[in-house]
Amino acid sequence: MKVSFIRPSLSSIFKPILFQTLPNRPVNFSKISSPPTSLKPQTPLFLKPANYRATLSDLKKWQLWAKNLATSVGTKFLDSDNGPDSALLLRELGWLIQDAVLEGPTSLSSENNPSEVVVSLRACLVDLYLLWKQRIEERRPFQYLVGCEHWRDLVLSVEEGILIPRPETELIVDFVSDVVKENEVLREGLWADLGTGSGAIAIGIGRILGSCGRAIATDLSPIAVSVASYNVQRYSLQDKVQVKQGSWFEPLKEDEGKFAGIVSNPPYIPSEDIGGLQAEVGKHEPKLALDGGATGMNDLLHLCNGIASMLRPGGFFAFETNGEKQSKFLVDYMENESKGSFFDVKVASDFAGIKRFVTGYRAT
Amino acid sequence: MMISLLLKKSSFLQRNPLFSKPQFCFSLLSSLTQSHKFSTSIQNDSNLNSGISFLDKKNNWFSLFSLKRLEKIPSGIFCGVNFYSSQSHAAAAVEPSTSDGLTVEGILANNWTILDEDESDWKSHASSIAQSIHLIKKRLKWKKLLVRVKMLSVQLDKPDLWDDPVQAGKISREHGILTGKMNEVKKFEQELLEHIDMIKLSREENDTELELEAVKALIQMRRSVKEKELEALLAGEHDSCSCFIEVQAGAGGTESMDWASMVMQMYKKWAQRRGYGVAVVDEMPGEIAGIKRATIRVDGEYAFGYAKAEDGAHRLVRCSPFDSANRRHTSFSAVAVIPILGEGFSRYQIKESDLRIERFRSGGSGGQHANTTDSAVRITHIPTGITATCQNERSQHSNKASAMAVLQSRLDKLEMARQAQMNAQHTQSLAENSFGNQIRSYVLHPYRMVKDHRTDYEVSDADSVLEGNIDDFILSYLSASLDNDEDEL
Ligand SMILES: C[S@@+](CC[C@H](N)C(=O)[O-])C[C@H]1O[C@@H](n2cnc3c(N)ncnc32)[C@H](O)[C@@H]1O
Repeated sequence: MKVSFIRPSLSSIFKPILFQTLPNRPVNFSKISSPPTSLKPQTPLFLKPANYRATLSDLKKWQLWAKNLATSVGTKFLDSDNGPDSALLLRELGWLIQDAVLEGPTSLSSENNPSEVVVSLRACLVDLYLLWKQRIEERRPFQYLVGCEHWRDLVLSVEEGILIPRPETELIVDFVSDVVKENEVLREGLWADLGTGSGAIAIGIGRILGSCGRAIATDLSPIAVSVASYNVQRYSLQDKVQVKQGSWFEPLKEDEGKFAGIVSNPPYIPSEDIGGLQAEVGKHEPKLALDGGATGMNDLLHLCNGIASMLRPGGFFAFETNGEKQSKFLVDYMENESKGSFFDVKVASDFAGIKRFVTGYRAT
Repeated sequence: MMISLLLKKSSFLQRNPLFSKPQFCFSLLSSLTQSHKFSTSIQNDSNLNSGISFLDKKNNWFSLFSLKRLEKIPSGIFCGVNFYSSQSHAAAAVEPSTSDGLTVEGILANNWTILDEDESDWKSHASSIAQSIHLIKKRLKWKKLLVRVKMLSVQLDKPDLWDDPVQAGKISREHGILTGKMNEVKKFEQELLEHIDMIKLSREENDTELELEAVKALIQMRRSVKEKELEALLAGEHDSCSCFIEVQAGAGGTESMDWASMVMQMYKKWAQRRGYGVAVVDEMPGEIAGIKRATIRVDGEYAFGYAKAEDGAHRLVRCSPFDSANRRHTSFSAVAVIPILGEGFSRYQIKESDLRIERFRSGGSGGQHANTTDSAVRITHIPTGITATCQNERSQHSNKASAMAVLQSRLDKLEMARQAQMNAQHTQSLAENSFGNQIRSYVLHPYRMVKDHRTDYEVSDADSVLEGNIDDFILSYLSASLDNDEDEL
């Protein structure tokens, strides 16, 4: 295949081909008890059957083309909106190969004659050209390309319509882990992750709770509910983590006052900032997951107002915020507006040193 | 002695079913018929070891019936090998010998010419085996080993041993490993002498078939002991561990960073060739080419044992492709090799509160604002200032775990060095320490040669070396450092 074969104009021709090759459904989808919607989540690239073949030399041609494309970016994206630089794009390319090539990256360094060696692929070569073009030219997030995100020790399925879980958010699971380690009541209790998206936090929590511990994951978005269910299924947590559709506390009504812990990473970006976001985020990720209203605090405040009545006495909460300003505001708000309802309300930083989280306990 | 020889025969029979023919049994029994005394005191017997030959003094003992009785004696107690191993103190004092008093030392001293394997001269085989055993003992630092085993045994016997279960576990593990090594060597010695006895006996009996088989067994042993020589090179405490290999570019800009990446490439290929798992943990690319530094993790048995030979500075001489005038340059890369001791074996207890964990190279508001696959993490151990970074994993969690593993190993290495009262000084990277210790030169211009300064071993095919063909360098260094030690054993 010639590099020049791929021209922008051709992507429209390839698109139908791409989507014809992507209909693979999770084999075990039918096992999901009763999917609340009819949406079918996509299978991540690394789980697809390796139904395609290419000669090593053709694959190498693609790799070289993709490398050049990545290198040509330089720091252009970084300078314009804090996007990825070439070094990062090259690392992503390596991971794309990891996910797409059955034999893994070592086959690319095979010493045999590359025009005779045939490798098995999980996507056809045309798709690989197309995908990488989308990555560079449309700034389509890498995680949507490969249909998954590595998060903590999990590999979560993600797709358009789902917020790609962020590294910062991993810490929420660490907080919960610290809390349940010392407290059996909380460890064996009922938890909730509100606005679960891919299901990341809920699955992380589901794996550290005790044998009686349960978690409910909710989201307003039907795609989120379907993808989260798929991810819960992939980690065989369907008996531990229940996915429900609905707005914030609404799906939790029947368990009001019973929760051992509630965590959430709700949309928190002020509306006016949405336009200036990094292209990968602003152009591709769902607004519903990002836009927190004029101050960005609409959903956070809603959650703060309702949480006291949902938690059992001594129950734990953790919220992710936009940073210092929101965190401080929330701490003050919880201490003043709902005097005596909470204790040990604290701000915690992420690894970049940004005051990212508010945590605390419902008063006993 | 008599008993043990007889038992050797029965164990010989067990191990070599070929011999269990009526004919052999008959000749064995007939040679015993004149014996009439049966000694029950094994301890005395082994102390009687004064070169009394079974064949010379057939009248010494016992009659037919005792063969039956002997078979009932649990072989684990009396059988030569186990006997010596369970009585390590006694064994150290009493040197095993053949029935006519020939010891392994004696074979060595005889200096019998060693011929090719296909020559059927048993003395040649015996001599070769004795030499191998000698070399193995030397590599194992035999005398020190015996002292250490004794010391550990004393500690194991202390009644309060298990008050500190971690320490006790370490002691009993080390004791187990070292006794295993010790017994293996003793087993070889014993076996060699048994074979010789068997050959002598078969000659006595004019049993050519038996002799042939015994010589065959000797040849077999000659081969397997030869293989063990190599294994004994890797008898260090941490040799069997996996390891990290760190490469750090010296001064000299792009040329030197390019050299660092060539060195790293050499190790990746070497490790792949050996079938080890290789994973890049940390890599800091140069601005134009090459790497400033990098760390790889090499997983597999004896990865550290081999790779430790590479610790030090590696020097390159060539015409630099990065020099517009194409002048000759000399550059250095420092290599540090750090064993991964594994869970439960770490020497340094890291306190969570001593750590600072940072997002490496982060900018902007983060959180929902940013979608990046970059989740590199840097961990700083505040008391020592040692840091570790990892950016090659796909999640922050895994990057953190990986960086922690590097940090743990670096601190372990530091702690071991401190304990060895070597050099308690640390730097950011252990590799930096190595620049002073130049171990090898790679000359690509005006001639091509790779030479190890520690062993003077050299080859002219520099390309093959840079392709990872470094086993010969490693083995020559390992054997030189263990074998040239002039203290006997
Ligand atoms: C920032 S994302 C977080 C996703 C996921 N918890 C994570 O950390 O990766 C916010 C999520 O909240 C959901 N959401 C937005 N409005 C909601 C509402 N009113 N009720 C429930 N979920 C909502 C979005 O669909 C989105 O999945």
